Amino acid sequence: MNAVLLIVIPLLAAFISIVSKKIAPYLLLVVGLFNIVLLFFLENGLVFIGGFDVAMNSDLLGISLLLDTYARMALWLINGLILVIFCLNFKSYKAFSSILLLAMAGLNGLLLTNDLFNFFVFLEISGIAAYLITSANKKPVSTFRYLVIGAIGSSLFLFGVVVLYAMYGTLNMIVMIQAIQASGNYAEVILPFTLMFIGLGVEAKLLPFNAWVKGVLGHSNTLTGPMIAGVYAAAMSFVLGRFITNLFVFEGSLLIVVTVLLALGILAGDVMAFSSTKTREILLFSSIAQASIVALLFVNGVIIWAVYLIIANALSKTVMFLVINKATKDVGSDESEALRGLFVNNKLVGLTFTLVTLSVMGLPLLAGFVIKLNFLTQLAGIGQIVLIAIILVASVIEGIYFVRLIVKLWYPGESEISVKYNYSFKAVFIVIALALLVFGTYSTPLTKLDNTIDTVMEVVNNG
Amino acid sequence: MIQYASIILFVIGIYGLFVSKNVIKMIVSLNIMEIGLNIFIISIGFVGGGAIAPIISSTQDLGLIFVDPLPQALVLTAIVIGVGTTALALAFAKTIYKTYNTFELDEMEESA
Amino acid sequence: MASVELLILFLVGAGVIAYILTRFNTFLGSIFTIFAVMFVFVSLAGYGFGMNMDTTVNILPGISFTETYLGFYFAIIIVFVYLMVSFFHPYYLSEYKYKNSYNLLFLLSLAGILGAFYTDNFLNLFFFFELIIWTTMFLIPQGKSKEAAVSYFGFSIAGSVAMLIGIFITYNVSGTFSIYQGLAALSGTNAIFVFVLFIIAAFAKLGSFPLHIWLPIAHGNAPHPFSPVLSGALVKLGAFIGVLALIRIAPATGLFTAMDLPIGQYVVAILGSMSIVFGTLMAIKEDDAKKLLAYSSMSHGGYILVAFSILNGIAFAGGFYHILAHALASAGAFMAIAAVARATGTTKMKELGGMIHKMPITYLAYLIAIISMAGIPPMGGFISKWLIFQAVIDKGMIFVGIAVFFGSVGSFLYVFRPLAALFLGQELTEYKKVKEAPLLMLIPTFILMGLNVYTGVFPGGILKFINNIIVELGYTGIEVSTYEINGTNGILNPALIGLIFAVGSGIAFLIFIVLKKSRKVELMDTYTAANFVHDEHLLHYAVDFYAPLERLYEKQSNWMTKFYTALAEKVRELGKLGKYLFMSKNISTTVFWIVAIIIFLLWGEVL
Repeated sequence: MNAVLLIVIPLLAAFISIVSKKIAPYLLLVVGLFNIVLLFFLENGLVFIGGFDVAMNSDLLGISLLLDTYARMALWLINGLILVIFCLNFKSYKAFSSILLLAMAGLNGLLLTNDLFNFFVFLEISGIAAYLITSANKKPVSTFRYLVIGAIGSSLFLFGVVVLYAMYGTLNMIVMIQAIQASGNYAEVILPFTLMFIGLGVEAKLLPFNAWVKGVLGHSNTLTGPMIAGVYAAAMSFVLGRFITNLFVFEGSLLIVVTVLLALGILAGDVMAFSSTKTREILLFSSIAQASIVALLFVNGVIIWAVYLIIANALSKTVMFLVINKATKDVGSDESEALRGLFVNNKLVGLTFTLVTLSVMGLPLLAGFVIKLNFLTQLAGIGQIVLIAIILVASVIEGIYFVRLIVKLWYPGESEISVKYNYSFKAVFIVIALALLVFGTYSTPLTKLDNTIDTVMEVVNNG
Repeated sequence: MIQYASIILFVIGIYGLFVSKNVIKMIVSLNIMEIGLNIFIISIGFVGGGAIAPIISSTQDLGLIFVDPLPQALVLTAIVIGVGTTALALAFAKTIYKTYNTFELDEMEESA
Repeated sequence: MASVELLILFLVGAGVIAYILTRFNTFLGSIFTIFAVMFVFVSLAGYGFGMNMDTTVNILPGISFTETYLGFYFAIIIVFVYLMVSFFHPYYLSEYKYKNSYNLLFLLSLAGILGAFYTDNFLNLFFFFELIIWTTMFLIPQGKSKEAAVSYFGFSIAGSVAMLIGIFITYNVSGTFSIYQGLAALSGTNAIFVFVLFIIAAFAKLGSFPLHIWLPIAHGNAPHPFSPVLSGALVKLGAFIGVLALIRIAPATGLFTAMDLPIGQYVVAILGSMSIVFGTLMAIKEDDAKKLLAYSSMSHGGYILVAFSILNGIAFAGGFYHILAHALASAGAFMAIAAVARATGTTKMKELGGMIHKMPITYLAYLIAIISMAGIPPMGGFISKWLIFQAVIDKGMIFVGIAVFFGSVGSFLYVFRPLAALFLGQELTEYKKVKEAPLLMLIPTFILMGLNVYTGVFPGGILKFINNIIVELGYTGIEVSTYEINGTNGILNPALIGLIFAVGSGIAFLIFIVLKKSRKVELMDTYTAANFVHDEHLLHYAVDFYAPLERLYEKQSNWMTKFYTALAEKVRELGKLGKYLFMSKNISTTVFWIVAIIIFLLWGEVL
């Protein structure tokens, strides 16, 4: 059993699925399940690819994958979510199974790889899959815009990688980290780090590289919404976290610029959501703010709670986009006025949506509150009171627009609307809402995982 | 020297994306940018005076100078990926043209 | 021994049971709610007064409790208001859209209240505060306006966020989340920051100027049985934070030597007096009885702030007593209005009249409540105002003094209006069939009446308990015996005053019985100087009652509302600007940002 199977099997299945369209959806289910099960059996550690001999591997030449707890959590989340989202859209978006397989391969690769150029390749693979997924919106111009911005981003990323290679003569992340630490000259890595940060920022929806989000998520459906706002956002946040905590050295003006950008992202995201009346826009802008918070936590070294925040956000946003996009499809408009009274006849869906939203807002009894309080405590521990104030002020704005939305959705306007959610949707909603509720009230398991979840540094330090 | 050329190409590509509103022109700009990048990648692998093929042979070749082979491998992959992206972009361009009968982004009525 | 933890868990469990019961039968569920709250109240009252509550925590993770006189005093008042209000539930809930969840959220918020006042940990305090906010937030839209919930939530959350920032500053300085150790460790600039932030929180929750906008919106539009909870109980959370900030933190700002008062406290006192003045003026103007009472809550919040910013025992005694007196009075008043609203379906004064004939007991309850609110003996409000006035005069605070007296006089003007408009005056034709409230609703009405009088006649016992709190806060209590209170300017004997009032009322009652009965006339049976008045509503004297006075500040009265509307509008515009800057349809914008950031970074470092 080898971690590379997590990438290879979906890729192989993607090719097979093109040959035989009929088995494609089932192939996706099998592969998804296989990946999730496989993750139980894989051991943590470096995996070497390419059949070089042991001597070369010990010098970390060649391509290697790194599986640690961090990657494992991410992989479970990503594969599981893709599977769930596809099951919910099994009937309506069967044709997308090959693309989802491709996305699975690309994202798994992103999370596993320890080689920077390989990382670029997986970035492009998952990117191409993402462009194809968003084509389900039937808004080719938005998709095209996403493609162009995505291509610019990954080109910049590659540029940065190549500059780093020219400087340190390696593409292996661990060797690179050691080399940068050894050189200690952080001024010269500002350019490549900036380029790479921007490249990742495009995909991770960080302001101001995220203009594509509005077009893509603003017209999303039950497949694209959860995929882009849930799966891709989570994967990219995980990847960004890996880079920020291990490779990137943010110091001096770079640190200031990054912090300002992220803080601006939090505020601007929530303010933009505040000024929106369309439900999907509210959700997408709020997820921009959340992505910035996650990145900001990574920059400040708050890893474990950032990871939980990513997971909670991915689950919450999946539910929220599913609820809203299904309603939008049935009603024909995503204006919050048009969706008034959505929950009058869907009390269960309404309850789960409310709980999930409360979790995103970080209100007590739900997982979001535990996470928020803990990362704020850690920020306070390192004296970042200004950042705390920014996050909290943004959360006031966030609270107001979410409450406005919830109240609208619960209380009917003039016309009654009828939206039917089938049982599979409801089951997913209930499971996620319950999970958030359970971890919100019983948070001991969360606090048990310590802050050293990220093992790259250990590998770096211990060889 | 060639590095400057590649960076100039890259910047031209960026400039093209900055000013053009035409779908096809944007794809062309994207390609120019990628070509600039590819040349840059190749250029960093160049080692002056390298005259030997970078192959591990049975004979002792220590001390011999050869060109760094890794960038060449990288650039091949990068080109392939670039082609893939371009193809996809062109496919979307086709859909756009079918839907709106124009390649000019300004002339399309699609709410952002 | 009653354990705080078990009471909280009991309330959560009871909430779930109440939800299920309400689902099948609204009345049954509400009765269950009454008993649940009663159980909590009885356990609290039985053990709490002697500080015999069990504060050990065995089940709840990360939560710790401690017992203080201060916390208990707040808790018992609020639980009492909850208990009184719960008697109203059986008659109101059936008309609400999501009635099943009403009792659940009601009990959950009570669990939050208990936790908030018993915890000794800042994070727990924040946890319980937020719990209270969101559970009560979902209760409000069940009433008239759906947007009221947004306004309530916005201000409350802004308040608790300010508090949380303060908490984190404290944590950063002291390294602990313990309330008492943390606040004790503050000093210098940090103390001032935390003080300001806590004061913002206190103002937001208390609905004091300039964070008062939500108060009339939320009180006026909340479900009828919930308005008394908001006004009598929930705004007191703000008073609690205010006490923490003003007395526990008490930062070392400069001192006004003339008044021997730190500047921070003085500013709060001034803002509190502005609350008193504006609340009074707005209440005079208001036509909706519930909104009128909401503005009166605002002005009473001001009294509480003034009291706690004057750092001595008499003022504190007045402040704590005022919390109790106002909770009882405003609960009584709001519940009387609620009873009227249930019978008639409106709270607008000009649409009502003559309810005294149909609902005499409710009338009496309202009368006693407003007498207490206006601070007239022999009700509880008099005692607290007497103490506060003394403290203010003693310190020589001129502006504050003017404000508190103005508020007192002003409250005669406004509390009298609903009395006259709703209960007195002519009976309108559409309310011929109205009946007195049912017996279950009269129980709390009688209890509140009794307590309003009791607090005014025999304040000794309660003031002795308040002395415990004052000592706990590190100040000396006031001198009080069973019948007398020693102030700095004299001795008050409330029981004597009460007796004189009783005698006076008795004589008046005798005259009423003995002398000739007044003749009842119809509203239209009047002389209208050759004008033909076709609609009796125009003759209603609540219409434009204080027109000349209102005209003085008509234009200024909605300044604050306008300010907050404009603020929301500005945020919205900012959002539009953000969308324009970052979310443009043009790819060039993104390219521009990327290039700009790269150039900016390279400019400083590499180039």
